Amino acid sequence: MDPATLVVVVLVIVTALTFDFTNGFHDTANAMATSIATGALKPKTAVIAAGTLNLIGAFLSTEVAKTISGGIINEQQVTISAAFIFAGLVGAIIWNLITWLVGLPSSSSHALFGGLVGAVIVGAGVEGVNFAAVLTKVLIPALVSPVVAGLAAFCAVKLIFFVVRKMEEGQIESGFRHGQTVTACLVALSHGTNDAQKTMGIITLTLIAVGFQPSGSGPELWVVAICGIAIALGTYMGGWRVIRTLGKGLTEISTPQGFAAEAASATTILVYSHMGFALSTTQVCSGSIIGSGLGKKGNKVNWGVAGKMVIAWLVTFPAAGIVGALACALAKTGLWGTIAVAFIACAVVFIIWRMSRRNPINSANVNERADVKVNANPNAKTVAAAA
Amino acid sequence: MLTQEIVSFITVLVVAVCVACSISVLYASGLRLWARADGDVERESRLMTRLASAVCFAACVAIVLFALWLMIPMFH
Repeated sequence: MDPATLVVVVLVIVTALTFDFTNGFHDTANAMATSIATGALKPKTAVIAAGTLNLIGAFLSTEVAKTISGGIINEQQVTISAAFIFAGLVGAIIWNLITWLVGLPSSSSHALFGGLVGAVIVGAGVEGVNFAAVLTKVLIPALVSPVVAGLAAFCAVKLIFFVVRKMEEGQIESGFRHGQTVTACLVALSHGTNDAQKTMGIITLTLIAVGFQPSGSGPELWVVAICGIAIALGTYMGGWRVIRTLGKGLTEISTPQGFAAEAASATTILVYSHMGFALSTTQVCSGSIIGSGLGKKGNKVNWGVAGKMVIAWLVTFPAAGIVGALACALAKTGLWGTIAVAFIACAVVFIIWRMSRRNPINSANVNERADVKVNANPNAKTVAAAA
Repeated sequence: MLTQEIVSFITVLVVAVCVACSISVLYASGLRLWARADGDVERESRLMTRLASAVCFAACVAIVLFALWLMIPMFH
């Protein structure tokens, strides 16, 4: 094998693992935001639990996808080179980090598909993309799955408050705390069995493409292990900005609502995947949190935040696509182009990280406020001191 | 094609709502019965209420185990 291919393969593996890491820390919120917001779990305990379950999940299900994109890219008709996959991953990582910076829960899978589609359009032409699959696997589930989860959570909250209406407030809060922990763990485990597989699939298919592995073989144990560890580490780091938005920004959540939201999310994810539909865990969880907020009398849903979130869902696919396309335009010029993309991507990641330090959000202050601002409000401290 | 999509959408909607509601009602009933048992004076009725509560919780556990079975491909 020539050194140029080797460099590209190593770059793909490193970027795939970086994407896996951002996927984990972007999606910790899905399982754990409500538990952290209600105090059912301490922030650190929640991320350790979610991280461990993601790692276990990665080992439990190694049935990797047969295709990188689940049919969105016509992989039979066009040759997907490792450089395209690399460019697509760069698009997905950068979009994941931008949405994390502003604290918006957006789908990591949509970012990945968007990045790949953008890269393929530039690299191989429009015929490389199956637009019907984009409609049925990205757009329709994005509109439908949050509604299903939201309705399930809404009905569940109504029923719960009807059943427990004669109980004392304290009994209800503490009773549902245990239930909420279990349902949250179910969501975390299902995330591990689904999302780590995408990265395993990408690495395995790349290794097959360059002849390191026989065609049709499953992922090697080291691939499973590094993917599991990357997603678990990401989950453990906790995307606290997204956790704050989902747990505090959308609506005020009590433990029965948290229980209902997580139960509705877990059920929707399982029913959907059992029927063979594509869906985004992020969108399902956000939908059920809004549903649980609407279900309790006197609870307000912050529609401003919800609206921004929906816009982020719709923009994720094309935005990651544009970044992927730009990265591919440079990467396809050759090895130096690919290396240049890697350098630019590192620089962008560093800038985003620096910007996040202006107003850092971590396990200690995640529940203090409901909004996520890029620039810290200089008056925030005085307001808190006055209160 | 479109009708098929709509039918499966409605199936998913109905199943998801029913399952989420069932587990919520079972868990809430379990909690309420358990709390009520504390107030029961008669020993026998307290035992019965506790038993009913345990049945509710057991049903929740069964649903969670079934969910785990669905989630882990090794089992099927």
